Amino acid sequence: MSDQLKDKHQRRERRTVKVPSDGSHGVRVKEATIRKNTEREIIVSSMDELGHHDENTRMVVTMENTYQTAPHKRFPVPAVTHILKDVLSSYLQQEKYEVEWSQKMTKTICEVIRARVKDLMIPRYKIVVLVHIGQQAGQSMQMSSRCLWDATTDSFACYSFTNSSLFGVATVYGVYFE
Amino acid sequence: MDEYQTEEETAFIVEDVSKIIKESVEAAIGGSTYQHSRVNQWTTSVVEQCLSQLSKLGKPFKYIVTCIIMQKNGAGLQTASACFWDNSTDGKMNHYIIENTVLNYHTLGKLQARIHR
Repeated sequence: MSDQLKDKHQRRERRTVKVPSDGSHGVRVKEATIRKNTEREIIVSSMDELGHHDENTRMVVTMENTYQTAPHKRFPVPAVTHILKDVLSSYLQQEKYEVEWSQKMTKTICEVIRARVKDLMIPRYKIVVLVHIGQQAGQSMQMSSRCLWDATTDSFACYSFTNSSLFGVATVYGVYFE
Repeated sequence: MDEYQTEEETAFIVEDVSKIIKESVEAAIGGSTYQHSRVNQWTTSVVEQCLSQLSKLGKPFKYIVTCIIMQKNGAGLQTASACFWDNSTDGKMNHYIIENTVLNYHTLGKLQARIHR
């Protein structure tokens, strides 16, 4: 009886993800304990997989119902645009386009942006970050993107930066995951 | 009543998607040379065609399609992407085509739409 009451009041999901012991290398398992209330300790474990897909089968993730139909906190477009502007300006100001440098820089900028957007702690949103750095050589180009998603919950932010020798474009998509 | 997603429904068939992208690009641009006045129309039609074909697949996924069309001028372009998602259900693929005067670079990301229990 008391268990049922506890389930009713539960607002957070409880997930257990198990990986086989011979799983692919480069798998990091992070565990965080969150104390929701004094009665109950809820453990949320998340997995961050580096690089390639896991070929082995994983246990199916079972999640409890949370009865949440819409996101509590939406994707904050202005805040993310500000992050993009900040990161691009600080990394690309006064720089010249060089092939190897810009290869490393795109990856670095990508990871920095992803880390900062993750720090915003927007629950239940999946993030996709795209960064393009190109040389300014008088060529013409056009970028476009279309998405098939739920327009009420999902959104994107983008920012472009130019100087005399290069241009940089960063786009972040935030997609709600039920 | 529980609904179960079968393996076929949730699998990401790379060949099908790659074929869809190639066909959309060829249909929209074919072998034309770069024209600044038309490039806006090209990108829009490539992306829209792609998306409509993907939605016809009927899979429970959200899609993000990005297309870059650039004039071939000897200029360099670097691209990188980072994603925060669930690797077992979500994925992306890139595709690029270089013709005489046009470079066309395509990125497609797919994210699981909802969980069925």
